[in-house]
Amino acid sequence: MLGTGQPPDRPADVVIIGAGASGSVAAAALTGAGFRVVCLEQGEWSDTADYMSAEPEAELAWHEKWNPNQNIRRNPADYPVTGDADIHPTMYNGVGGGLVQWAAMWQNLLPSDFRVRTLDGVADDWPIGWNDLAPFYDRAARDMSVSGLSGDPAFPELAYPNPPMPIGRSGMAAARGMDRLGWHWWPGVNAIASRPHNNLNACQRRGTCIIGCPENAKANGALTHWPGALEGGARLITGARVREIALDRQGRARGAVYIDRNGAEHLQEAGVVILAANGAGSARLLLMSTSPQFPDGLANSSGLVGRRLMQHPYRTVMVVMEEELDSWEGPWGQRIYSLEFAETRPEHDFVRGAKLHVCPHGGPMFAVYDHHNAHRDAGFDGLWGAEFHRAADTVFGHAFTWGVQAEDLPEESNRIILDPEVTDSDGLPAVRAEYRVSENSRRMLDFNAARAVEAAEAAGAVETSVSSIWPTGISHILGTTRMGDDSSSSVVDRWCRAHDVPNLYIVDGGVFVTAGSANPTATIMANTLRVVERMIEQRRHQESAV
Amino acid sequence: MNSSVSEKRRRVLAGLADALIAEGSGKPSASAAGVPGELLDRCLEAVPSLRSPLMAILDEAEGRDPDEFARELYARRPEDFTVLSTSVMGAYYLSPEVRKLIGYPGQAANPLSLAAAPEYLENGMLERVYERHPGYREQQGRERQPSPT
Ligand SMILES: Cc1cc2nc3c(=O)[nH]c(=O)nc-3n(C[C@H](O)[C@H](O)[C@H](O)COP(=O)(O)OP(=O)(O)OC[C@H]3O[C@@H](n4cnc5c(N)ncnc54)[C@H](O)[C@@H]3O)c2cc1C
Repeated sequence: MLGTGQPPDRPADVVIIGAGASGSVAAAALTGAGFRVVCLEQGEWSDTADYMSAEPEAELAWHEKWNPNQNIRRNPADYPVTGDADIHPTMYNGVGGGLVQWAAMWQNLLPSDFRVRTLDGVADDWPIGWNDLAPFYDRAARDMSVSGLSGDPAFPELAYPNPPMPIGRSGMAAARGMDRLGWHWWPGVNAIASRPHNNLNACQRRGTCIIGCPENAKANGALTHWPGALEGGARLITGARVREIALDRQGRARGAVYIDRNGAEHLQEAGVVILAANGAGSARLLLMSTSPQFPDGLANSSGLVGRRLMQHPYRTVMVVMEEELDSWEGPWGQRIYSLEFAETRPEHDFVRGAKLHVCPHGGPMFAVYDHHNAHRDAGFDGLWGAEFHRAADTVFGHAFTWGVQAEDLPEESNRIILDPEVTDSDGLPAVRAEYRVSENSRRMLDFNAARAVEAAEAAGAVETSVSSIWPTGISHILGTTRMGDDSSSSVVDRWCRAHDVPNLYIVDGGVFVTAGSANPTATIMANTLRVVERMIEQRRHQESAV
Repeated sequence: MNSSVSEKRRRVLAGLADALIAEGSGKPSASAAGVPGELLDRCLEAVPSLRSPLMAILDEAEGRDPDEFARELYARRPEDFTVLSTSVMGAYYLSPEVRKLIGYPGQAANPLSLAAAPEYLENGMLERVYERHPGYREQQGRERQPSPT
């Protein structure tokens, strides 16, 4: 199995694959409890010196070097995502994972999100409920220096360690529309420090969250969790691309085989293997880990590994106001959000619902792009030449965005598989995505985009324009290794342990049973804490190969 | 292909850039703003994948009427038009003069103050949200959260 005959590395108690959102949480908690932890991460560390966010070129950084789409960015650590899916999974690969580029919207699921089958007769209930996660939501919010305002009646009680970020002129403009219509809205909750907190500095509102925070104010496992974990003795090996989970004769996980930067293979042995490589990366790794005992991929006796991919289909509404909004101003989290239409309603022609949130609109290039999109029919003469300046005169500084984030239901035909031809830089198969936006999701998006337009008009918008569904999605990769009590219809159990392998756990977004309409990371991190604390509690009973 | 930006290529770009961004609305044309000079270099450094296709476009455009050529790309070769327009626009909005004219400080640091209570708490808007909300769907026996106001 080990091509280059390297000796195995010193065994660890736990090897974690992926140093992103969930991997960071697992590493910090396990190290704190005295476990010997090794984390294998295919990407590298990034820090403020790598970001272009504080430079005049910031807006250009989105175009390539810090594009959220790995297929455009093409860092050595990135693996391609292929296929003609309606929505393509996108991600950041490096220490911190998606949190290096995330918008930091911190949104818990609703209690009803765990009981979709019971309440609405669709999809499946989670094997756990709101109460199981509640204490971990609060702790995760503390660890992530979340800024928000408690009291939203749409939720059970929630606590945030920092006061909310100002919602700015655009947030106020949007909120006035919701106020007139009598709809739910709340000041945005973001994992961005509104004042110095733990390892984070206070936000400087540059609005460059998605191309890397140059102020170290946006929470990212690389800042919030890894310093403590490393101090506590965890070992984080970067440039380490795992290609297979190694097994012993009994079919227990023995460790992980990885390829280092020089192409040499290593075996990192461990008593327990935790997959935290995200909904695409963990499914990919399980599908690559075939053996006579597991010919269809590891932990895949249900046949569900890679299936039930959910991504929150997304559309935006550009809202242009007469008044000055300083719409480039950050942060690029959420100014306000609304759960008015997040639940099933009998009068709708779809089930479940969407979350709406307000984001800033960025600099002049974004104004041009959105203006041109809205006026495609104007042709060259209407958009270029002397007309070019219209976007700067009317849209730039005057616009905000309503994001419409729809709950897509799990479908087995929406899935990721291994690409039979395309590979990453180490010769491992790329991920191919097969994903169709369902009729239910389309209706949900149409309805909610129309409500966002209505809210904008109630706020006094002079122009609105609705985008089509974003083809590269919003980097929410969920459901591909779902949890459940029944091993024939789920990949991991309620403690996120693989039904088929007693010492293999999965903690990333793949374990979601349904997607809700919330941005997923609060739940990913809270759930990881829940699972890992149980592992710590049960350590004496953990079966292992090493 | 040589991918350095020769003086000849810069001259060709000046014509094309002005076809895309003409003087108007109190703002300079692309060439008057300095797009074909150092601004272009900075743009290409920030977005390296533009360089080689842009050079090919400039070589092809040499000797052609810039306005006609730009319209041709727009109508028939959208990918090439995107390369050209992104390069021109990207360079244009790096100009400090243009930024000043449109009132754009860049993605600058703008420290926040938490001293004043947010307007929505003062003017009753958020209290109205709290008051009218029917409670969440699985409220069952759970208490409502206390109001922030
Ligand atoms: C631009 C952008 C904006 C976003 N905005 C938000 C938001 O506002 N709110 C929100 O909740 N979520 C947001 N997200 C999503 C959020 O980042 C993800 O939900 C979260 O990071 C997922 O956590 P994870 O632990 O599942 O995986 P990740 O954080 O993706 O981490 C997985 C890690 O595993 C590594 N890995 C994968 N395969 C291997 C392998 N074979 N060997 C070694 N290492 C491997 C990867 O390199 C990566 O670092 C955003 C994401 C992006 C990219």
